Order: sequence, then structure tokens, then C-alpha cells
Amino acid sequence: MKSIGLEQPKLKLFINIVILGVSLWGVAQKDFTKEESSLFQTILIEIVSPIQGSIVSLRDRGGSFFRNYVLLVGVSRENADLKDKVEELESEIFNLQEIARENKRLKDLLRFGEEVNYKKVLAQVVGWDSSSQFRVLRINKGKNDGITLRSPVVTAKGLVGQIYRVTPNYADVLTILDPNNRVDAIVDRTRSHGILEGFSDFKCLMKYVTRTEQVRLSDVVITAGLGNIYPKGIKVGTISKIERESYGITQIIEVSPSVDFQRIEELIVLVGNKENGDEKRVGVNQ
Amino acid sequence: MKNKNLIIASTITIAMLIFLNILSSTVFPILGFHEFRLPFNILIILFLGFKLETPFTAILILGVQLFQAAFTIEGWAYGTFAGVLLCIVVGFVRDLLNFSTKFSTVIVTQIFQTLWFSVTAVLIYIRTLNIDYIIHKFQNFIPESIIISLLSPYVFGFLDRIWKIKQTGSKVRV
Repeated sequence: MKSIGLEQPKLKLFINIVILGVSLWGVAQKDFTKEESSLFQTILIEIVSPIQGSIVSLRDRGGSFFRNYVLLVGVSRENADLKDKVEELESEIFNLQEIARENKRLKDLLRFGEEVNYKKVLAQVVGWDSSSQFRVLRINKGKNDGITLRSPVVTAKGLVGQIYRVTPNYADVLTILDPNNRVDAIVDRTRSHGILEGFSDFKCLMKYVTRTEQVRLSDVVITAGLGNIYPKGIKVGTISKIERESYGITQIIEVSPSVDFQRIEELIVLVGNKENGDEKRVGVNQ
Repeated sequence: MKNKNLIIASTITIAMLIFLNILSSTVFPILGFHEFRLPFNILIILFLGFKLETPFTAILILGVQLFQAAFTIEGWAYGTFAGVLLCIVVGFVRDLLNFSTKFSTVIVTQIFQTLWFSVTAVLIYIRTLNIDYIIHKFQNFIPESIIISLLSPYVFGFLDRIWKIKQTGSKVRV
């Protein structure tokens, strides 16, 4: 087959300039709070995400196998039969305990915000963002389940984030730990208003709270219901650090999220708005 | 390289990118590595820039980034801009680059990763004006980039075979 060509510096220069221009346009257009998924991305995500989901579902089985079988290599032959029976029973107990834990988690999730007029879509986490800069989760529910861009996402413990990108069967959740996600929040005790921004894998910053507000450590922070994304009253976390500089008119408050993002497995997407949903208050989960 | 081989090599490279991204976005977090995730796309793009002497490198980079965008909300644009810019730089210093030993490969990869970080950090700062975000990004960049650099001789060796590049370090021409 014929080669395309050898020395083509002008063609290379032209292509480089065009691609640089297009990528700069892409940088300018980029919105880190929501994204309409292109057809190419939708197809790719729909193909790849089931693989991610399968790997996640293998996790528990793999853990059980490792605990129950691999570590028992070397047990004397004499006790093998008894050990096998014990293993079987332990494995059964483990599975039952796992089911019981899952049941409890799901029940807690389904009890969340019973009084709120949202449709609740239960979803499982199947992946995470491949870049450590972004705190994004991929879930196994999408447009076909009624999920739309910017739908709020919660667990029984509190706020997780909002839907960033959605395909027919999968969606990406921009968590409150991501610096691109900003949540209107209030301190439950003092009703002090501020903006919550993601900061690291374990904490958020609550900004623009005036210095005169007497907030304290361990005060609960909840959503304010402004911004038309999150319903009012969802628990976000508790105050873990307060910094008051000798100058300035605001204080910087660190908030530890109530959701453990390292161990999150299932979550709820609130969809299908609601007649007075934004005005309604969700019970603060302690 | 013939067009057919170019397509085959590109396809295998993209398949490798997808596999590595699944590792990074699913397997590593399951194993408990939540804070650090390896940006394998940078490694592949640097390989394309270092070893391929073709006018279409920028298009290949764009292709890699379009696939990468399915795994991260960073999207395709930032990486494409940084990648193409770095490939232009590589074009000027190509004769100085040495991949004959693992050590030199690690050092060159680390230098260009640092340049990559600088370019994307400037772009992000221009967009967000948030220096804290850049500092936090840099804290993650240090360990991640070192691991990527240490992996580079092996990944480049594998890609050399896919792109049929001789071990002497000669470049592929298209």
C-alpha cells in the first residue's frame, strides 16, 4: 500500500495550527458543571461502562473468594473436610450478612426524604473519573431511568452531588468534593449562608460566611435550596475547622462531608421535578 | 509506515488506552487507590510525539483525547492543546532526545510531563483564576508523574512493537 508521504512540514504546520485552534475553542467552551454528551461519547460510555460495572460486581465475590479459599492454602489434609464445611457455612453467613447490610443500606436510602415530591432512582457506582483532579462517580442509571442533567444525587447520609453527564444507561455525578461543584449552603444552627466548594478528597470549603456569624465546630451544614439544583435541607456535612484571619470580612470554614465518598456503593438520584419540591425541606439526616 | 499499518497501530493504541483507563478508573479505586490515578493518556501522547514523525500526529492526539474524554470530565480540549504544543517542542529538540536507556527515557518523560502540567495549569488558571486548585493539582501531579515516568520505558517498549519502531530509537515516518 502506498505511503501517505514523507517530508510534509507545511501540511504538519497546517494541521497543528488547526488542531491547536480547535482545542483552544474547546477549552473556551468547556463547562465543568454540566455537559451534553455527544453521540460519540454516548456510544463509548455505553460500551465501556458495562465492563466497569462487571469489575465492580466482581469485587465482593473476589473478596469473599480470597478470604475463604486462597488464604487457606496449606491447611493440613486431616482437617480439610471439616474446614470445607466451616468455609461453606462461613461463606454462607458472609453472604447473608452482606445481603443484610445491603438491605439496610437500601432501606435507609429508600427512606430518605419520603416527604419530598421527587422520584427516587436507586443507582450503583460503577466507576470513578480516571483523573485524580476530578471527583466524579459513574453510576449505572441514565436517561432511560428519567435522569437529567443537574439532577441532585444523595445517600441516606447526605448530599453526594449533581448529574454532570448522562447517557441512556449511565450517568456521571459531579460530587461536592469537586472544586467545580458549588452548593448554596447554610449552617443549620445559625442559618448562616455560604457557598460550599469541593477542596480535596475529604473536605469542602464553605466560603463567603461573614466574620460576625458565630459558627462553631461540629455545626451541621445543610443545603440552602437556592440555585434551583438541590432541594433545601439536605445534610451536607459538619464543620471541622474555622479560620478567621485578622483582616477581611469573611471566614473560611472547612466542612467534612457526611457521606463517605471512599466507600460509597449505592446512591439515589432525585428526578422528576416536583410541584413545590424546591421549597420543601428535606429532613436533616443525622 | 503504510496506511493499513497506521490504522492497525492506532486501533491497538486506542484499545490499550481504554484498557489502562478502565484500570485507572475502576480497578485502582476498588483496590483503595482513590487519591491518585495515573494519567495514561499523557504517556501515550508523549510516545506519539517522541517517536512518530508524521504530519498527522496532532490528529492522532485529538483521537486519543476524544476517547480519553469518555473517562474524565476534563474533556478532550486541554490535553489536545498541551499534547500538540509539546509535539511542536519535540520537533525542535528531537535530535537531543535519547531513548537508548531506561534512565534517559524516564528523565525525558518526566521533563515533558512537567511541561504538560505547566501548559494545562496555565489554561486552567486562565479559566478559573483559582491558584489553590493548581496547587492541589500539583500535589497530585508529583507522585503520579513519577510513576508514569517509571512505567514509560516498558509502555514505550510495548508501543514500539505496535508501531514497529526499531530499538535503536529510529522514528516512524508516515
